[in-house]
Amino acid sequence: MSETLDKKTIFQRIGKNVLKRLKRIGEFLGKLWKHPKGRIGLIVVTILVILAVFAPWIAPYDPYDVTQRAAKGLPPSWQHPLGTTITTGQDILSMLIYGTRVSLLIGVSTGIILAFLGAIMGIMAGYIGGFVDSAIMRVVDVMLVIPTLPLIIVLTGLFGRNYFVIVFVFVAFGWTGLARVVRSLVLVLKNSNYVKAAELAGASRWHIMMRHILPGTSHLLIMNTALTSAGIMVAEAGLSFLGLGDPTAISWGKMLADAQGGGALLFGAWWWIIAPGLGIFFAVFGFMRIGIVMEEIFNPRMKASSGIYKLFKNLNNQYVEEVFASMDERKLLTGDVKPEPAESG
Amino acid sequence: MNDNMLTMRNLKVVFPSNAGMIRAVEGIDLDIRKGECVAVVGESGCGKSVTSLAVMKLLNSPPALMRVDELRLDDEELKDYSETKMQSIRGQHISIIFQDAMTALNPVMTVGRQVDEMFLRHNDISKKEARKRTLEALELVGVPEAKSRANNFPHQLSGGMRQRVLIAMAFACMPKLIIADEPTTALDVTIQAQVLEVLRGMQQKHDVSLMLITHDLSVVSNVADTVYVMYSGKIVEKASVRDLFKTPHHPYSYGLLASVPKLSDTKHQFVQIPDSVPHPLRKPSGCYFHPRCRYATEQCKKEMPPLERFDNGREVRCYHPLNVTDTELQS
Amino acid sequence: MKKSFVIKRILYAVFIFFVVLTLNFFIPRIGIDDPAERYYPPQGGMSDIEYEIIKQITREQYGFHVSTWQQYLNYLEDLSQFNLGVSLRSGSPRVSALIGERLPWTLVLSVTTLIISLFIGVLIGTVAAWKRGRWQDTLLLNASTISVALPAFFIALMLSFYLGFELELFPAYTNPNMVAQFDWSWEAIRVVANNAALPVISMAIGGIVGYGQNTRNSVIAVTNEDFILTARAKGLKQNTILYKHTLRNAMLPIVTSLGMSISGLIGGAIIIEQIFNWSGMGTLFLEANSTGDYPLMMGIMLFLSTFAIIANLVTELFYVVLDPRVTVGEKR
Repeated sequence: MSETLDKKTIFQRIGKNVLKRLKRIGEFLGKLWKHPKGRIGLIVVTILVILAVFAPWIAPYDPYDVTQRAAKGLPPSWQHPLGTTITTGQDILSMLIYGTRVSLLIGVSTGIILAFLGAIMGIMAGYIGGFVDSAIMRVVDVMLVIPTLPLIIVLTGLFGRNYFVIVFVFVAFGWTGLARVVRSLVLVLKNSNYVKAAELAGASRWHIMMRHILPGTSHLLIMNTALTSAGIMVAEAGLSFLGLGDPTAISWGKMLADAQGGGALLFGAWWWIIAPGLGIFFAVFGFMRIGIVMEEIFNPRMKASSGIYKLFKNLNNQYVEEVFASMDERKLLTGDVKPEPAESG
Repeated sequence: MNDNMLTMRNLKVVFPSNAGMIRAVEGIDLDIRKGECVAVVGESGCGKSVTSLAVMKLLNSPPALMRVDELRLDDEELKDYSETKMQSIRGQHISIIFQDAMTALNPVMTVGRQVDEMFLRHNDISKKEARKRTLEALELVGVPEAKSRANNFPHQLSGGMRQRVLIAMAFACMPKLIIADEPTTALDVTIQAQVLEVLRGMQQKHDVSLMLITHDLSVVSNVADTVYVMYSGKIVEKASVRDLFKTPHHPYSYGLLASVPKLSDTKHQFVQIPDSVPHPLRKPSGCYFHPRCRYATEQCKKEMPPLERFDNGREVRCYHPLNVTDTELQS
Repeated sequence: MKKSFVIKRILYAVFIFFVVLTLNFFIPRIGIDDPAERYYPPQGGMSDIEYEIIKQITREQYGFHVSTWQQYLNYLEDLSQFNLGVSLRSGSPRVSALIGERLPWTLVLSVTTLIISLFIGVLIGTVAAWKRGRWQDTLLLNASTISVALPAFFIALMLSFYLGFELELFPAYTNPNMVAQFDWSWEAIRVVANNAALPVISMAIGGIVGYGQNTRNSVIAVTNEDFILTARAKGLKQNTILYKHTLRNAMLPIVTSLGMSISGLIGGAIIIEQIFNWSGMGTLFLEANSTGDYPLMMGIMLFLSTFAIIANLVTELFYVVLDPRVTVGEKR
């Protein structure tokens, strides 16, 4: 980045870069869309994002309105599609819609930060090795034996129950798993020829880590972001359920806790429990699906091994017989006459 | 009376895949006489190993589909045998020695117990008796201190010792036919000779038939009686080992022989066959070997040559065979 | 060779233990530098001198009257006598006594859950691998996608709603007299089993599916190994191959995960215990959290960490027995 470049070229360069990235993301989404399982995940996540962003416009009622004493404990109806709460008469659908905000925000932001931290730690441990490696791995081993949920409870107790603290704690204690996986991948990449070539060419360690190793782990990171986001959403719901989330926000976990505390079980207000549960389910399910499909896209071997059974089920017997017959001595005068469907590809 | 230990007619194996049908073995015939050692030679990827597994009906479906017109072991037709019936044939009447003994042995079981299993499965004997026979079998293949070695795990033995264990296992029930699938490829050259010596000694001593799968012609010249040369799923030449080494008919056999450097031979140049075996999804038209063949003509590019049989029992699949003597041509 | 491996692993576990207990000592001190201010905020009608005296007494009570370094040494000394400190509850019970009281009840839940999920999981995982690509396999795959997205506490709420309140099959809340009246009689054990049913089921569903999926993948990976082909070539019967060759090897990675699972289950039971009001360590921890009882919370944390360290060490050593290939330095 030299200072002599004039502004125009810099902007052009940035523009090109952004375009390239956007194009890649577009291609990637296209791949997800083509995969039947990926499509479900994509649709679910898109809906959730829309709900979260436009919650005030979509939600039919004010979810914070606790003054509807006349509408307490209503079962699902046209007025209240998911019913109302027993205690305060809040509209559950509206609460559910507002709840997506917390889940997505916490889940995705934690997932992304965690991916960064895990990648940096894993790459440093794997590539630099030596002291750095053993130091990081010792830390991982320590983190592994400390029980996560109790620790989070202790830390939120000490530092306050706002979402910054919660995200911070999730990140600080969640990166270890990813770092281990990245590290073992880096150990393989480290010995690949292109990294060796870059080393011989005199590239700096930093350059090699950022330009050669990081891209090699990117698929793992993207996949991991999707999967950890899902995991964090469950964890956040659990924390809120225990009453340890941000007390001012509406979240699915807190809704469940209110339902339990408010006697939903006792009075048979099943809608009050099922609604937030389904919210958690769909959010986690959508992100999981995307993560799993990414894994399949990036590791085609896994797909191929399970695909073979499908292939056998749908095998065209006549075609098989033709193939076998074409191998017989006399018929093979003109060689491989049968053009095979995928030969061109 | 049948002189053949193994008679196989028209074996075909394909692997359906999303990219198309992989034709691994395309209709091969194989005869192994009693006490004979038959070698199947070819580069990797030509279908040798698939053939060896097919003989034992060990190919899983999926992924493989197998057809065979005749698969006779001694006087037993195995073609329609069920899996359960095959289980009592395997190990007892046919056994196999795999290439890489490290992966072919169960890593968490002592080698002794793995040989014991063979005796226990096919004989009605006690564990103690089985172990006694195991120790005998291990001593027979030259495993020193068999008693303590039997209690070792595979990773504690050297490569040569592991291969000997596999050989001992294969000969345990004195089967009628033993298949050795590249038995020495994974070993050091010096160990290769020893293991081969053991294998050959055992085969001759117990007069079993041996089917030797290899890409290494120097192995063939030492051990085999008859050689089948396989190329891309087809037999391209069958001959006795002496004939093949003296006068290879198929250009591919010639190329294989020429690519083995000989110390005594200083006159001829070291010849390589250009390129490699075609991908089983993209086999060329006509003779599969034509893209790599120096003698290929237009006919070779269009039509697959038939497997022609000469009077002296040799067979060759080529329109332009090399080194054909006058006596053979008269037929 | 094996002996040195064992010693090395034990020394490493001790090292980790020291790091953990040091962290355990310092973490609450990041937030609390003076327990007196935290627990006894100044009250009206109390002179400054009086308040100072009360603060001083409180500090001494919790050992905060000396330097942090000295506190750390005292902490180590206490630990060496298995003294985890004193709870802030009335009567100042020892933390270790409180843990000892609740631990068996948590173990009842987590050990039962582990055993159930391990056995059923391995069973259905093996079946799925055996019937690969058929409906059994697809069912497991779908069950695992669904159950992963359903948090255990939601399953617990649903179970407690339908099986507990609606159908009244099992108690939706733990009988409060269960612990007090437990006397090892058959009747008492039956009551415990009855009360434990729902918490165990809600925790086991995820475990069963998880072990099932792991077993399936592991069995399939082993089935593709050469030595299984050898076993088949030897003519061994299918069952022999499955039990003696496939499962023996496929269980190795699952055994390694057992140590983590049991400690994870104990730590993760917090929410489930809270839902069913089960008087285990989880509820103890939440009680401590709601009253700001840091000595108790940190005592439980240290106990859980130590438990995890020992469980990991045991599985690691057990693994060496199961897998003869593992030697010094090969793992990790």
